[in-house]
Amino acid sequence: MEMDRPDGRSPNQLRPLACSRSVLHRAHGSATWAQGETKVLAAVYGPKAGTKKNENPEKASIEIIWKPNTGHIGQADREYEMILKKTFESICIRTIYPNTTTSIVVQVVHDDGALLPCAINAACAALVDAGIPLRHLAVAICCSVTDNNCIILDPSKQEEEKAKAFAYLVFPNTTVSVVPEKSLQAGSDPMAHGIITSVTHGAMSERGRATTQRLSEFLRKNMEPKSTREASKAG
Amino acid sequence: MEQRLANCWRLTVNEKKFIESALLSDVRVDGRGPLDYRKLNIKFGKNDGSAEVQLGETRVMSYVSAQLVQPYRDRPNEGTLSIFTEFSPMADPSFEPGRPGESAVELGRIIDRGLRESRAIDTESLCILSAKLVWAIRVDIHILDNAGNLVDAANIAALASLLTFRRPECSLGGEDGQQVVVHPPEVREPLPLIIHHLPVAVTFGYFSNENLVVLDPTYHEEAVMTGRMTATLNANGDVCAIQKPGGQEISHRVIMHCLRLAHVKAGDMTAKIKDAVEKHNTERALQKIKRHSSSVAVDVCGTTASLGGKQNQSDGDKEGSRLDQLKLKDETKSMECDATSSAQVQSNKKDGSSKNFVGGPSSWDPYSDCVNSDLLKASLASRGHSTPSKKKDSRRETKPEEPQNEVKIDSAPMDTALTSGQSNEGKTLKDAVKPKHKRKKKKGSSNNAN
Repeated sequence: MEMDRPDGRSPNQLRPLACSRSVLHRAHGSATWAQGETKVLAAVYGPKAGTKKNENPEKASIEIIWKPNTGHIGQADREYEMILKKTFESICIRTIYPNTTTSIVVQVVHDDGALLPCAINAACAALVDAGIPLRHLAVAICCSVTDNNCIILDPSKQEEEKAKAFAYLVFPNTTVSVVPEKSLQAGSDPMAHGIITSVTHGAMSERGRATTQRLSEFLRKNMEPKSTREASKAG
Repeated sequence: MEQRLANCWRLTVNEKKFIESALLSDVRVDGRGPLDYRKLNIKFGKNDGSAEVQLGETRVMSYVSAQLVQPYRDRPNEGTLSIFTEFSPMADPSFEPGRPGESAVELGRIIDRGLRESRAIDTESLCILSAKLVWAIRVDIHILDNAGNLVDAANIAALASLLTFRRPECSLGGEDGQQVVVHPPEVREPLPLIIHHLPVAVTFGYFSNENLVVLDPTYHEEAVMTGRMTATLNANGDVCAIQKPGGQEISHRVIMHCLRLAHVKAGDMTAKIKDAVEKHNTERALQKIKRHSSSVAVDVCGTTASLGGKQNQSDGDKEGSRLDQLKLKDETKSMECDATSSAQVQSNKKDGSSKNFVGGPSSWDPYSDCVNSDLLKASLASRGHSTPSKKKDSRRETKPEEPQNEVKIDSAPMDTALTSGQSNEGKTLKDAVKPKHKRKKKKGSSNNAN
């Protein structure tokens, strides 16, 4: 089923991606990630001593601070923090630095749809920039189901508002992995809004995974040239 | 959390001594003179009223938003302005999330005092219905990177965002004239705030040696200095606010000297801010024109409208290569067909809202005259007919039908000024480029003009 999106993209087409790392000077790692007009800035402060009270001291803990554009921090922001926390806890190798806290601060610069996937991508790039050991990278994508039961990827804010349902999918960025079950485990299958039947869910995951191929290539390409940069500032 | 303090940076004794002794010979660690500002860079975001300022390594982001609220009882005819400062934990490891700390509140107060006491923003124009509805302007300042002198950077960011903020226009309607109708930006052009002058904050740092005064201190210098003063002045030399939060005592002679210095620096800053805002406004206006023209005719006028905007850059180019350049250029708003955009990551997508954009003619007309200038006609008259038409054919085939239909409907209710301007442009370009292709749509729009 053909579908015309307002900005002329095909249903499987992503918006132009832009990523820059080491944008901040005080933070140990920082990155901005832009998908079309949606732009997020993430900063990472490397392992700091101590964990919070209800955290397991045997493992490193991740602390996420989500900063919205305007207004006070509300429920939605807390929800995003929780989701990001779970996602990154599955990515970081937590047994290396027990009893420490790594903070990830996410600042929304502009929200034009698919905010959470953009934030996940930005935070992942910032973690790499900080030199935090990760199991694998995370790539996130947003799929939405429109009124006429068409699945589109990377919706803009307009499309999101009109969509019947949408889901954010996070996939690990392993080297060409052929095993489908393993990939499904990684990263929580985070927020899903609206009603998504199992059929569409399957279709979404397939398409999502295919697109994340492209996203992960972009991410890898971005990480390469910066490897010669100065050693991590966590010292 | 005490853990946070344990992780924060401390100045070593060697560094402290070095900074002080270097200042005795008028040299600062980053090579500046004691009274030099760092490099200032002002960038604007997609939204009206969002600005990002970089002062050396310090980075501050500012957003302005507006809401309709009830006014304060003692000021029923005035709108309100409130500043919210957020010391984001990403700026400094010692910044904690949650309630703003003392320095955050102080920063907010300095900026607020500079704007409010001096009446830089005209709050009476923000009143819609006396004692019932007024605009409340809210400025959110996010500190992203703390490399010293947050006050000055945050002040510039707040000013830049207030200058580029546009609030929706509203009018009174209804039976008793008490109903307020807020017009969305597509219907009526949003209005800028009325700003009388720009209060610029200038921060001085004092050291244990009385004669050492430093402007725009960096993070290291801030840890060494024993006293500070922030003077907020405007370009006319009016002192809007002075803040001296404790610290070392300073003689009045030094204070007067500093105020004179601040006057000079304020003038500089004001000029820089105004320049940056001007540039941004012109770009914005140019973009709006492109959007307008492209909403009338999809391929032809779309490309050529953007041609008009890029006149300066593409003047010397050949026609065929010009079209290629336009396709690949990031700034143009030309539509890309899906067949050609295999390199999807680099291709630029037109904004969905742009097609439906039918703005007021007031902001559009002055610039449309510039676009329809002789330059455009002359350069286009020299165009070959074959190559452009071929390219446009292939592009048009793969275009979806929808936008063209939209175009027809849109052109009908437009003001005469708008249609004449656009079809005038369309006529010049169409006549120069494609005499052979007589499509119904073009006939329709040219008939409108006639």
